Amino acid sequence: MVRQARSEATRRKIIMSAVELFNEIGYPAAGLGDIIERAEMTKGALYYHFDSKEALATAIIEEGSTNLWNAFQGIAQSPAPTLESIIHGVFVVADLLSTDKVARSGTHLLRAFGEFNDAAAHTYAGWVDEMTACTAQAIAEGDLRPDLDAHAVGETIVAAMLGAELLSNATAAGADVLERVARTWRVLLPAIVSAESLPYFREFLARESLRHSAMPPTSDFVDP
Amino acid sequence: MTEPLDRRADATRLQILRAASRQFAQKSYNLVSLDDILADADVTKGAMYFHFRSQHALAAAIIEYRAEVARAAVDELVAHKLSGLETLIDISFLIAIDDIGDESARAGLNLLESIGRTDGLRTDVVERWVAVFTEITRKAVEEGDIVEEPEHVAKLLVSMYLGLRQTSNPAEPERFLRDLQNAWALLLPGFTKPERMAYVTQFIKRRTAIAMKKARSL
Repeated sequence: MVRQARSEATRRKIIMSAVELFNEIGYPAAGLGDIIERAEMTKGALYYHFDSKEALATAIIEEGSTNLWNAFQGIAQSPAPTLESIIHGVFVVADLLSTDKVARSGTHLLRAFGEFNDAAAHTYAGWVDEMTACTAQAIAEGDLRPDLDAHAVGETIVAAMLGAELLSNATAAGADVLERVARTWRVLLPAIVSAESLPYFREFLARESLRHSAMPPTSDFVDP
Repeated sequence: MTEPLDRRADATRLQILRAASRQFAQKSYNLVSLDDILADADVTKGAMYFHFRSQHALAAAIIEYRAEVARAAVDELVAHKLSGLETLIDISFLIAIDDIGDESARAGLNLLESIGRTDGLRTDVVERWVAVFTEITRKAVEEGDIVEEPEHVAKLLVSMYLGLRQTSNPAEPERFLRDLQNAWALLLPGFTKPERMAYVTQFIKRRTAIAMKKARSL
């Protein structure tokens, strides 16, 4: 039991050291030697847990996406109307990206490995499926327009959020991700929300700045 | 294979608590006899006294149990990270839905009205409830939705719910939820920033609609 706990602690330390290095100098520049040095481990300890740098990256991708997925599910499974959960859930995920280092590193690695890593492929597919199901539900509840194609909307939401995160990283080192996500929703809402629900959701969106204190208030609920 | 003794004892204790909840959910404390509970739980008097030294102790255990369950549910709602005022509204509808359709919730709240005045249990449970609401209200004040003293607002909201159980009736789901919505509508202007009223009113209307769909009578 003690041994198992110690082994888990070692694994954690390796992952956290790798995450720090990947965040500081990027995946390609970080060698296994640097990771071992940062973690103050022997090569044997590292190879006991991970047989390659890619295995280590895959573990980070998996842990990071699990954290983000659980955060979204926690919101999606609340009894709130589904469109409220979709919007709020996306913000909670974006918020987590700025506080959870493993999740952030995992997202970057996911992007780098997207084309040839299984973990990456099923992560994206999982999000699109989930968002499609949520969209269909929100259409049934009357908050989204009845003539929408749920899959197309689900895909658009996932793509827009990934894009917002990418732009935020490229231009502001991820500091303004919540504002970018808010701007994206502001553009998206009039295109998909039913006329009846639109004024409510404009305010619901404006209130996200209340819900995440890190985000500067944008408009104080002025109906455009 | 024999079950470990303490696990079997736990199962019996739970069985008694469930049967008693069923009884107290339907009838007031004074109308429930120990024999009703024993018959429903299918346990002997001896077994009951092994776990609870009196009917009163059994009722107190139900209140405590319910308070714990409610606390866990509130923590889960707070973890959803909505604003303070939205969280308070969500909690009130969550409690109402449980009160309508969950025996231990209905029994716990019924019992809170009939026992515990002298031994401090009621004060203790209600004070904990007010403390949790005060904390969430404080957040709502920081966010600019609520403009009154947090503790006063918290006390008003708890009184509102406990009073609503008297003037309305959780056994009539639609009426009860409508009355809850109306009570919120009347209270809100007393502590909400005027420019936030329109949104919050809509929010309550949407929560009422969901609760109507979700609530299942006992």
